[in-house]
Amino acid sequence: MKRKIIIDTDPGQDDAVAILLALASPEELDVLAIVAVAGNVGLAKNAKNALKVVELSGRTDVPVYAGSVSPMRRKPVTAEHVHGATGLDGPDLPEPKLKLQPQHGVDFLIDTLLAAEPGSITLCTLGPLTNVAMALVKAPATARGIAEIVMMGGGYFEVGNITPAAEFNIFVDPEAADVVLRSGVKITMIPLDVTHGVLSTRPRLDRIAAIGNRVGKAVDEMLSFSERFDLNKYAARGAPLHDPCVIAYLLRPDLFEGREISVTVETHSELTMGLTVADWWRITDRPRNVFYLRRADADGFYALLNQRLARLP
Amino acid sequence: MTIVKRKLIILTDPGQDEAVAILVILGSPDDFEVLGVVATAGNIELDYTEKNARKILELAGRSDIPVFAGCPRPMHRPLVTAAHVHGPTGLDGPDLPEPTMPLQKKHGVDWLVETVMAAEPGTITICSLSPLTNLAMALVREPAIASRIKEIVMMAGAYFEMGNITPTAEFNIYVDPEAADVVLRSGIKMTMLPLDVTHQMLSTRARLDRFRALGNRCGVAVAEMMTFSEPFDLKKYGWDGAPLHGPCVPAFMLKPELFQGREINVTVELGSELTMGMSVADYWRITDRPKNVFYVRSGDAAGYYDLIAERLARLP
Repeated sequence: MKRKIIIDTDPGQDDAVAILLALASPEELDVLAIVAVAGNVGLAKNAKNALKVVELSGRTDVPVYAGSVSPMRRKPVTAEHVHGATGLDGPDLPEPKLKLQPQHGVDFLIDTLLAAEPGSITLCTLGPLTNVAMALVKAPATARGIAEIVMMGGGYFEVGNITPAAEFNIFVDPEAADVVLRSGVKITMIPLDVTHGVLSTRPRLDRIAAIGNRVGKAVDEMLSFSERFDLNKYAARGAPLHDPCVIAYLLRPDLFEGREISVTVETHSELTMGLTVADWWRITDRPRNVFYLRRADADGFYALLNQRLARLP
Repeated sequence: MTIVKRKLIILTDPGQDEAVAILVILGSPDDFEVLGVVATAGNIELDYTEKNARKILELAGRSDIPVFAGCPRPMHRPLVTAAHVHGPTGLDGPDLPEPTMPLQKKHGVDWLVETVMAAEPGTITICSLSPLTNLAMALVREPAIASRIKEIVMMAGAYFEMGNITPTAEFNIYVDPEAADVVLRSGIKMTMLPLDVTHQMLSTRARLDRFRALGNRCGVAVAEMMTFSEPFDLKKYGWDGAPLHGPCVPAFMLKPELFQGREINVTVELGSELTMGMSVADYWRITDRPKNVFYVRSGDAAGYYDLIAERLARLP
């Protein structure tokens, strides 16, 4: 049976690859919509990038919505230093002809989830959790329609990237992450602990480029652009490839390992703001609210990515 | 050949792994001159830790080294102990006799201040195996000691391994985060040996058997101590040995080539109960916070255990 998903995202090169992976997997995934959120760059650019990615994939049937323009409580923080001025620097993609849907993305989430069979839609969040939290606050019954939230966010053993203690998606809107983590909805979290093990080495990018289609070429160009920051910072063989892990987990959960634990977001102290306090060793009595992934089979992941991207134009 | 011995003041709350650290120091008399031991409240209450310190000195035949009791509580927070790891006396395992050497009358903080102020500047190394209460109290009492201490080498904190007493805090920092903050901001040269390195130093069965096979009373006692304290960690982590924390401090001083680290900023979390006592290490140097710590990230476990065995073998 196909899984119905909504992708909430702030593309972003790695977000774009995640979207492409999902759109290349129509046998498993029914992508109902893409909802943009402010994150890697501002909302307008993220929304436009989502349209570009949809056009690149040839799946112009998938509607794109623009959601929240800023985090719930804090000032926006962006990451142009990683993603470039447009948020999707690297490939030379045409201006999109597709238009955004007129409805606000949060209202689309609410309407769709309230109308859906209970527990029937999976939310894949690749950016800050603002839209999902706003929906849960505005209409708490939204939670009923959610099968599961699979999110790229957080870090424990790899701790942080935007600060020494916080991963970007959580740091940008820690209050939203806190709302989501306390919502009681089934949650799978894919943290830096996993994504830092899934490195886009040169041979892996070369294999993607060698597929020979326009999508493979664009993905190579995107990741070659965005990896420069991380290669310099971590002095590693490749940069972490974060967001496609979310879609890969839906397609091949056997590639991942994790455990049910408590995860609590720091929202009080500026020093550790947005830290995902993961009780990995289960030393507290905090209730388990997250299936927390710890590692992935990187070779298996890249084999899957190659296989799926090859199905696109 | 002249060997310049390093003058040490040991701050400690033994604790089995602290006891092993002290024994490694005492097994290295060509390298270290121990001026005194200041007991700290930590793994267990101060009444036990000062007594345990004396037991260990007597075990090693070094009752000439004075032991002082420091503060019975942290600077700001109520004391948290770890009797669930170390046992009700803090040093369960071997059957060590009641100590006969006296506890010094002077308060450990006062002795620390007086000793540092009386010594040549830059000659005394502080070896911290416990919460940093007594050093922080000394720094508050007499700020001038900061420029006179050669360096601090401490077992404390964590970044990649995050925490042990809470999901985000290592025990020595968590027990007295305000004290750790005072020390980290003191401007004194310091090296931090965090869980990131001690969690690589696992006391496997083979390594403990090797200590026992040394045949001296110290080697046997170390094997018995570790055999007592390790089940907690073995059960928790599912590893084939428990982390042996404290001896990383003397091992780093004796053989720094066994370890890798870098100069970074470390700041202690004081503002939130959820993350209280986290040592926020800017390992990737992404902030402009001033570098205040040589932060050790990894170590050679085989070389570490070789060194410990070699030094323990020199003791009674």
